Amino acid sequence: METIGIFADVESAGRAVTGLVKAGFVEAQITSLTSVAYPDGVLVKVEQRSWFRWVALAGAAVGAVAGFCLAAGTAWLYPVRTGDKPIIALFPTGIVTFEITMLFAIIGTMVGMFLEMRLVSRRPRLYDPAIAEGCIGISVSFYLPGEVVVCRRGDADEECIGAIANLSAREQRERAEGIMGQAGALRTITE
Amino acid sequence: MSNAHPTPQVTRPPTAKSATAVNDELLSSLNAPTRSWYALVALLSAAVAWGLIAFGWQVTHGMYVTGINRPVMWGFYITGFVFWVGLSHSGTMVSSILRLSRANWRRPILRSAEAMTVFCIAVAGLFPLIHLGRNWIFFYMIPYPNQRGLWPNFRSPLLWDMTAITAYIIGSSLFLYLGMLPDLALVRDRSHGWRRDVYALLAMGWRGSAHEWAVYHKASTLMAALIIPVAVSVHSIVAWDFAVTVVPGWHSTIFPPYFVIGAILSGVAAVITLMIVIRRAFRLEEYLTALHFDNMGKILLVISLLWSYAYFVEVQTTWYAHEPIEWEVFSFMADRYSWQLAVMLIGNSLLPIFTMCFKRLRRCIPVLLAVTMLVNVGMFIERFLIIVPSLSHKNMPFAWGSYSPSWVEISVNVAALAGFSLLFTLFAKFFPIVAVTDVRELEARKAQVPLGRAELPSLAVED
Repeated sequence: METIGIFADVESAGRAVTGLVKAGFVEAQITSLTSVAYPDGVLVKVEQRSWFRWVALAGAAVGAVAGFCLAAGTAWLYPVRTGDKPIIALFPTGIVTFEITMLFAIIGTMVGMFLEMRLVSRRPRLYDPAIAEGCIGISVSFYLPGEVVVCRRGDADEECIGAIANLSAREQRERAEGIMGQAGALRTITE
Repeated sequence: MSNAHPTPQVTRPPTAKSATAVNDELLSSLNAPTRSWYALVALLSAAVAWGLIAFGWQVTHGMYVTGINRPVMWGFYITGFVFWVGLSHSGTMVSSILRLSRANWRRPILRSAEAMTVFCIAVAGLFPLIHLGRNWIFFYMIPYPNQRGLWPNFRSPLLWDMTAITAYIIGSSLFLYLGMLPDLALVRDRSHGWRRDVYALLAMGWRGSAHEWAVYHKASTLMAALIIPVAVSVHSIVAWDFAVTVVPGWHSTIFPPYFVIGAILSGVAAVITLMIVIRRAFRLEEYLTALHFDNMGKILLVISLLWSYAYFVEVQTTWYAHEPIEWEVFSFMADRYSWQLAVMLIGNSLLPIFTMCFKRLRRCIPVLLAVTMLVNVGMFIERFLIIVPSLSHKNMPFAWGSYSPSWVEISVNVAALAGFSLLFTLFAKFFPIVAVTDVRELEARKAQVPLGRAELPSLAVED
């Protein structure tokens, strides 16, 4: 379950996040929805480590093998005998391998990015078009009582669960809506 | 009496606009087309249609309808190919370098530069296919097992070109799409009907969460770093099409860097020309300011100096060695194509260097338009002068010849220019031509900070 509070400016949105954290919600439950990027910490703090680069690297490795097989492997399978030139020519093999490696690395970057962003979702997610017009959305996800929200490296146990997690999801939502209303939310929408 | 000092008050700039106002202005290009837009599209479509007719004439009658003949077997088509590859070079390069260096003035320029790259490389890729002769069996170049028992020879630079151009078209298209992703979501939220469905599909469910933005910025940086070596390699490979032969005037180690520099020169000039056109067409004077033209003018100056140096080195080495056949090519070029040579040197070297030294001229739009257009005229001539004189006067004097383009080749080249313009015009009507979220991000981070007696503009940045 998720609730989004819509705010007219960054300041009131920032106040809402501060209020939510003070009330026992953990950072991992809260995120901002904005049409422009704000520096980390202005609204919420996000996990800085990302793994999509590994997908890019894997793409590059696959590309290197594919490029080498395309230029050198197929030259071996379908030999074109030209004078005393070698069947597998190093320079062209290097060029083709490089290009295919870079191409697959680029494709890997895109694929990894979409996977890590968890985009291309079949289920429509909670959103408000006012965000495109400069409003700030503060989204709070609710979990079952006692459920571990998320544990990041170095987080203490209470940071993983959050004091608020003793309450039912409905009570969590009501409390979050109240805090966001006090901070100046224009409206709240709930999934 | 209190000694307490008042807390310095950070305020929003007095000229700051609301997000809706900025959206309205920057997305005005997506408004319903005007009559003049339809007229422009019709004109460009007619030019493209004429080029298709000329190409059809060539297909049905054979390559004799072109001006190419022994010994000059590469003419206007390959000139066009090298020229358009060169133009494509700089859009992505400029965008990537400015992204990596976090130059804030880059923001309004990025989109048109990246789109230019995609359309230029698409146009460039057509020229080798048009030049093939038996165009209908172009797929023989594609490596796949077949009943012919043939396999493409990867020792041929043509295959290197095909691999590099394919990688560059896909890479630069993804780079353009990546940059557009937040803007597509923004347009999705402001549109209705079938357009909303299309933009929603392209936006992939983007909501602009903090996590999405964090990953997006990292991915943009990585893509920028990956696309630069691809761009450099593409034009180096085009240079190797020439340099790996033993044709006098071509077999030179300086060709790859010289081609890359020339490509950046023509690309930077084209980006400036497009900026001027877009600024005028969509009333973006407030966003594409004198500062942007000033900075791009400085880049043009530096690249023009580099090009002049590379050209001087190439000619000086040949002149000093005075190797007969090499010198013959230069002599023939200076004699037969003297006015073209003069236009090239003025357009690529003297004029940009002289004018771009002066701030007033860098900020003067008519001067910039004239200079940048002349740079690209000069670059087209430069490509022609690289190709034709060398082939005209190769090692065997009894086989010397000359070349003049036919109406078919000229028509196809004009159609290529019209095709590029048409693609760009259509793109500007259906997609945001300025990176709206990038520009708005800059606006959102601006503030007036009191310092001493003054209030100075400041910008919030991350490490």
